[in-house]
Amino acid sequence: MDFEKLDKIIHEKWRLAIMALLASRRSWPFQELKAELKMSDGNLISHMRTLHRLGLVSVKKEIRGRPQTSYALTAKGRAAFRDHIRVLEQIVKEWKKK
Amino acid sequence: MNDRSRAAEDLRVIRTLMERATTYRAISAPTALVGGALSILSAAAIQLCAAPDGLLGRAIRPREFACIWLGVLMLTAIANIFFVWREARNSGRPFISSGMKLALRAIAPTLIVPALFTIWFLKIGYLGAVELELVIIWVVFYGLALLATALFAPRSLALLGWAFLLTGLSVPVLANAMEGLPGDILSTVMGVSFGLYHLIYAVCIWSRKREAGGEELVVE
Repeated sequence: MDFEKLDKIIHEKWRLAIMALLASRRSWPFQELKAELKMSDGNLISHMRTLHRLGLVSVKKEIRGRPQTSYALTAKGRAAFRDHIRVLEQIVKEWKKK
Repeated sequence: MNDRSRAAEDLRVIRTLMERATTYRAISAPTALVGGALSILSAAAIQLCAAPDGLLGRAIRPREFACIWLGVLMLTAIANIFFVWREARNSGRPFISSGMKLALRAIAPTLIVPALFTIWFLKIGYLGAVELELVIIWVVFYGLALLATALFAPRSLALLGWAFLLTGLSVPVLANAMEGLPGDILSTVMGVSFGLYHLIYAVCIWSRKREAGGEELVVE
């Protein structure tokens, strides 16, 4: 088992961090996600677009006094994240056996 | 960095991010410090004023006692709002975060009984010499409120909750034994629980924060 088996889209460092946070809660408002990861607006939006385009993340826009965008993992995104963790764990386990 | 180290590091970053995102500390160290200091000062002031040769020269009346502690609660709540607002501004997070909403939802049901009991006490309950019951209810339900956040709170907050709950439950048992001690039992219980416990909690958090200060999570 090696890094070739990993999903390249998810394995990018920022996207992996985004997926980890999204997996920890039902949904995340954009501002909180940005503050938690200390990312710029443009950088975060660009990664979210990529994840959304692949169907890994859903976007909800609503007006609560002011417009608010929140993100959540889709079922596909959750499964992909779980698989990704499994591969990472497998790599560590196999190395320990050696 | 080889594959194994990279995978282990990725898993560490993921675990830390997920743990941090699911943890919410409803009481920060500065809030605990303010609340603890105000409580000890109030307990000491009540003891001093109520002493035979004290400022008042008479015991504090039940409603005065309740109002003093409600004042402490209000000042601490105002300080907490300020600290939360400052933290939110510094970190770029919204003032009412998801964590805060979660904590408020968990705590709200445990506040109903003490709130109703306090209102009843201020209206007619004070006539029935039930100050000790009032203090027990405040201490026990505060402990329960902290324990209600235990699923997503750091361990220290749950321990603080247990300390309050056990103290509150032990007061009726210890009340008789404490009667021989100098000073009044009500202020002693309030000073020890809301004062001393909060100060210990604040010191513990601050010292742990300083230890963890150099360990920053790096996504890069």
